[in-house]
Amino acid sequence: MEVLTSLINVALIVATLRTTAPILLVALGGSFTTKAGIFNIGLEGQMLAGAFFAVLGSIWTGSAWGGVLCGVAAALVFAYVFALLVVTFRANEVVVGLALNILAGGMTISLMKAIFGTRGSIVGQGIVGLPKIQIPYARELLGSWAPLVSGYTPLVYIAFLSVPLFVLFYKRTRLGLYIRVVGEKPEAAEALGISITRIRYIASLLCGLFAGLAGAHLSLGYITMFTENMSSGRGFMAVAILIFSNGDPLRVLAGCLLFGLADAFSLRLQTFGYPSYLILAVPYLVALTALFALSYAARPKLIRETADSMRRFLRAETPDSRPTEGSR
Amino acid sequence: MEPDTASSTAADYAVELIGITKRFGTFTANDKIDLRVRRGEIHAIVGENGAGKTTLMNILFGLLQPDEGEIRLNGSPVVMDDPSVAIKLGLGMVHQHFKLVPSLTVAENVFLGMEIRRNGLIDHQAQEERTTELSKRFGLAVDATERVALLSVGIEQRIEILKVLVRGARTVILDEPTAVLTPQESRELFATMRSFAEGGMTVIFISHHLEEVIEVSDTVTVLRRGKAVATRPTAELNKAEMVRLMVDRDVSFERPTRPRTDGKTVLQVEGLWARDDRRHPALRDVSFEVRAGEIVGIAGVAGNGQTELAEVLSGLRPPSHGTAVLNGRDILTLSPAEVRAAGLAHVPGDRMTRGVDGNASIASNLMMGRQDRAPWKRRGLLDWKAAARESIGLIERFDIRARGPNDTVRRLSGGNIQKVVLAREFTNEASFLLIDQPTRGVDIGAQEAIHDEIMRQRANGVAILLISVQLDELLKLADRLLVMFNGRIMGTVDGENADEDQVGLMMAGVSPEQAEHAA
Ligand SMILES: Nc1ncnc2c1ncn2[C@@H]1O[C@H](COP(=O)(O)OP(=O)(O)OP(=O)(O)O)[C@@H](O)[C@H]1O
Ligand SMILES: [Mg+2]
Repeated sequence: MEVLTSLINVALIVATLRTTAPILLVALGGSFTTKAGIFNIGLEGQMLAGAFFAVLGSIWTGSAWGGVLCGVAAALVFAYVFALLVVTFRANEVVVGLALNILAGGMTISLMKAIFGTRGSIVGQGIVGLPKIQIPYARELLGSWAPLVSGYTPLVYIAFLSVPLFVLFYKRTRLGLYIRVVGEKPEAAEALGISITRIRYIASLLCGLFAGLAGAHLSLGYITMFTENMSSGRGFMAVAILIFSNGDPLRVLAGCLLFGLADAFSLRLQTFGYPSYLILAVPYLVALTALFALSYAARPKLIRETADSMRRFLRAETPDSRPTEGSR
Repeated sequence: MEPDTASSTAADYAVELIGITKRFGTFTANDKIDLRVRRGEIHAIVGENGAGKTTLMNILFGLLQPDEGEIRLNGSPVVMDDPSVAIKLGLGMVHQHFKLVPSLTVAENVFLGMEIRRNGLIDHQAQEERTTELSKRFGLAVDATERVALLSVGIEQRIEILKVLVRGARTVILDEPTAVLTPQESRELFATMRSFAEGGMTVIFISHHLEEVIEVSDTVTVLRRGKAVATRPTAELNKAEMVRLMVDRDVSFERPTRPRTDGKTVLQVEGLWARDDRRHPALRDVSFEVRAGEIVGIAGVAGNGQTELAEVLSGLRPPSHGTAVLNGRDILTLSPAEVRAAGLAHVPGDRMTRGVDGNASIASNLMMGRQDRAPWKRRGLLDWKAAARESIGLIERFDIRARGPNDTVRRLSGGNIQKVVLAREFTNEASFLLIDQPTRGVDIGAQEAIHDEIMRQRANGVAILLISVQLDELLKLADRLLVMFNGRIMGTVDGENADEDQVGLMMAGVSPEQAEHAA
């Protein structure tokens, strides 16, 4: 019991929300491209570039928000190049995405060496982190529950508040609708004079914007530093979540929370002395398993039919009961 | 050729296409075509598969750019850069393959591209109200809030028409609108078209069903191999003349005479039940047999279980109960490949999803399913040379209009894609042929060729189950007609002396005895 309470408490939820934020931001960004019918595997690279340039920007301008701006700008450049190659020149999405990921990894390392003369990480050097926002009266009203809503960095709030806005965006705005149509049935868009190219560019750039924010959160949020490859697969995890959620904001949120929870949980477990490399794999495993289970219910017809015929094969001799009439 | 040109001035024409030429590579799909459509008329365009009808309409609508020629609307020259220009100029097109977004509601589809907004947000309620209002005004019943994915093709078409109307179209282009409709739905569509024309709108209408053309149109233009060969008032032409203009020969619509056969039973279906995708019962206690050298026709309004029956028999849908024995083997527990091995050849109703791989060549499509047999395979590998040779033979025999065996199937016209499927399935030497909608979207000349081919298969002793929503096709070919209604077989009618009205009543759910009485 004691172990349980030390594992599950307010602090765990707070940690969950914090670890969820960056992956939620990048996955929400990816929802634009997913909905527009682009398989964007380049999220990882955009996020990494965002993280690096956010650190640079914050050193240059001396302000955290200057850093965020720089990070977003860098991710937008990556997103633009992605769109140029994929949409205009019709290059293969996976190849371009992977190439840009590799480019982001290499570029940040070289620039780090060129500018700071170090390898590995940038710490100190005058990096300004994002402030924590204390919600007024939270402590008075909620007491020990206050950390649940108060004291996060701004991007955490932005990430979670974005979710309902995304729902509204896809449901009620023209751009959101067009993005969905271009992804689902491009011929329909074309026949109505909606430019597929334009919509896909916009979706890619919006994706870059959020990936940049996610990157900035990584390097200026709770830790103010940049390390090599600091996105550490979150971009790929986001891609997995996007595949399972089909880019629907609420399902993206569910997937990301799951990952965040597993991540926070595994950090706890580390303190119990399990081998850390095993534990670091836990969030990815948990999230993937759960996502698979979730999407199994909504599995495509093909899988369902195969499962059906296998079941039929297994009880070949016992045909199911005769359907009653009027069971409509 | 143009009737009473003297009395009509250019401004009487809603649409004029002058000297339109369109080439795809070296192939000329439209060759200096002139087409003049008077305001307020229903103008039909007929022609064989691949004659260039869709291409011409795509040019008019701005989806394709002509290599030569001019477009005039109401007498003034226009350039259709893209469909939005055409829409702005009062043109609307319902495409041969619908362009609706399945996950959106009816109203969202109707207003796509011209959403009603309030405070910058889409006003779904207003859109739904306007859709309902419009659908009432034009007698096109739809539920504005329903998702398109759940609707039948007939309703999808109404939505496409509403889409055109809400954009204020004065000229409506309908590309083979009846190919997917039930006779009842077609009649409703014709009434709508007539009310459009009476209201001063102009309708351009493409069809392979010449009876429809005669029934509904004022003027006909015939295209043959990319050229406009005639434009006449419909009243001056009969069906045979129209056919001669289209294919340059005579075509017979007679029921072919045939010897009575008494072959052994090839397929025996007993007490078959199955559910549809929404888990509702789609087949209810269906029993029948098909003998060697016999054509059994399944008549019925689309959506009464025919699709499910075809899927169950071809191993694509697990039944809930019943047996189906093909050549002495129960096929209901078999996979599609195993059913085929047991003697089935299948022409699916939906050619694009289950009939062909659109992105592959004709040769690959013809080879599918027999890649492990001579002459397609040699020494464990595919023999592409033999495949090409074999394909050229099939392309000739089935009159597939293409440049060669390496043509991509998607590039072919609708009717020619169907011929690719038929060529593959009819040459499989199967003992049982399951044919679903063999002539959907196929032109008159090719229809005859396909019917001849079906009769030849019959003469070779193949057992044939023919599913069609076209009653005239069944009355022409079937030895026995089973009429399906609501998943049940309402009754059996002898093909020799079947009465069209009687079958029609049974298709509507009237019992055979009452139907005979009424007819
Ligand atoms: N994009 C394209 N590229 C190459 N060839 C094409 C293309 N579109 C059409 N064609 C060819 O042009 C010819 C005319 O095609 P079109 O679709 O206009 O025929 P259609 O008269 O509408 O026939 P159907 O009645 O079968 O629909 C066909 O031979 C087709 O293969
Ligand atoms: Mg066509």
